[in-house]
Amino acid sequence: DGVAILPAPSNLSVHSANMKHLLVWSPVALPGETVYYSVQYQGEYESLYRSHVWIPSSLCSLTERPQCDVSDDITATVPYNLRVRATLGSRTSAWSTLKQPFNRNSTVLTPPVVAISKDGFHLVIELEDLGPHFEFLVAYWRREPGAKEHLKVLRNEGVPVHLATMEPGAAYCVKAQTFVKAIQRHSAFSQPECVEVRGEALPL
Amino acid sequence: GLRTLQLGSCVVTTDLQEIQSVFSELRHSVQAKDDITDIRILRRTESLQDTKPKGRCCLLRRLLRLYMERVFNNYPAPDHQTLRKISRLANSLLTIKKDLRLCHANKKCHCGKEAMEKYNQILRQFEQLEPQAAVVKALGELDILLQWMEET
Repeated sequence: DGVAILPAPSNLSVHSANMKHLLVWSPVALPGETVYYSVQYQGEYESLYRSHVWIPSSLCSLTERPQCDVSDDITATVPYNLRVRATLGSRTSAWSTLKQPFNRNSTVLTPPVVAISKDGFHLVIELEDLGPHFEFLVAYWRREPGAKEHLKVLRNEGVPVHLATMEPGAAYCVKAQTFVKAIQRHSAFSQPECVEVRGEALPL
Repeated sequence: GLRTLQLGSCVVTTDLQEIQSVFSELRHSVQAKDDITDIRILRRTESLQDTKPKGRCCLLRRLLRLYMERVFNNYPAPDHQTLRKISRLANSLLTIKKDLRLCHANKKCHCGKEAMEKYNQILRQFEQLEPQAAVVKALGELDILLQWMEET
């Protein structure tokens, strides 16, 4: 290693939402110089059985920005240690290590963005693409007293999905929540969204 | 997706499919390094299926410990990509091992005579090989272990 004469990055923390994990830190300020950063990680396995082994992050070896998307490195639901060091030419800083190990089961799950539309009498839903970890529990109902709530589990293929065939003159509402199997957690429900179908209600 | 492993009274949920898909990315390069074709470490006679349900948790727990302590950490990963994949496998299997430890703590993971005999037989198979060859063969046979888990 080069002589550690560079100050080390500081204030490491992980911002994690919807299984996207971003390691951020305070940059090393050297006016007029471009400082690069390298990130390494070790899962609980490494810290238990091979604590000397640190694995270079797949995305952040010699990166300029004081942040690193470690989502592809955090691949199991166990605590991960993360560390960063600065590099300037042949000079490198000491490693700065995240104070608390990060576990992906602490990610913040936000209610999904839901777009509903009418295709004739068809109630159609489109869900935001949150990646392979996500399933969606969709609840829909006809807006009338005592209406029964219907549930559907969708995996998001990024295409509009037919939910139900509506009756003329009725209004239908939809809400959804995400579910992540890998961490066995779900988000809150989104706010209900409703659509109305014009036309006379059909005689019984 | 998620699978439930029925190991006697110990029940564990895991994403076996994901672990199998990570191993499939490693399989060819690992198995290509295994020159010993007439020996198997994980044999049908010592499989989880061939073990009475009440002994399966113990056998699996011992096998995962073997992989954790003597295989994953001794495999010479040629590059960072392989190192990451082995880390992914090891940490995913560690979550299963931690669940089995809970079963053990709740007295649902008893190590009886049958399970111990089968484990010791597998250990003999492992230890009869030269250490490096044993590591390579054992890692190459991980799909057998995953298949056993799939079939429980």
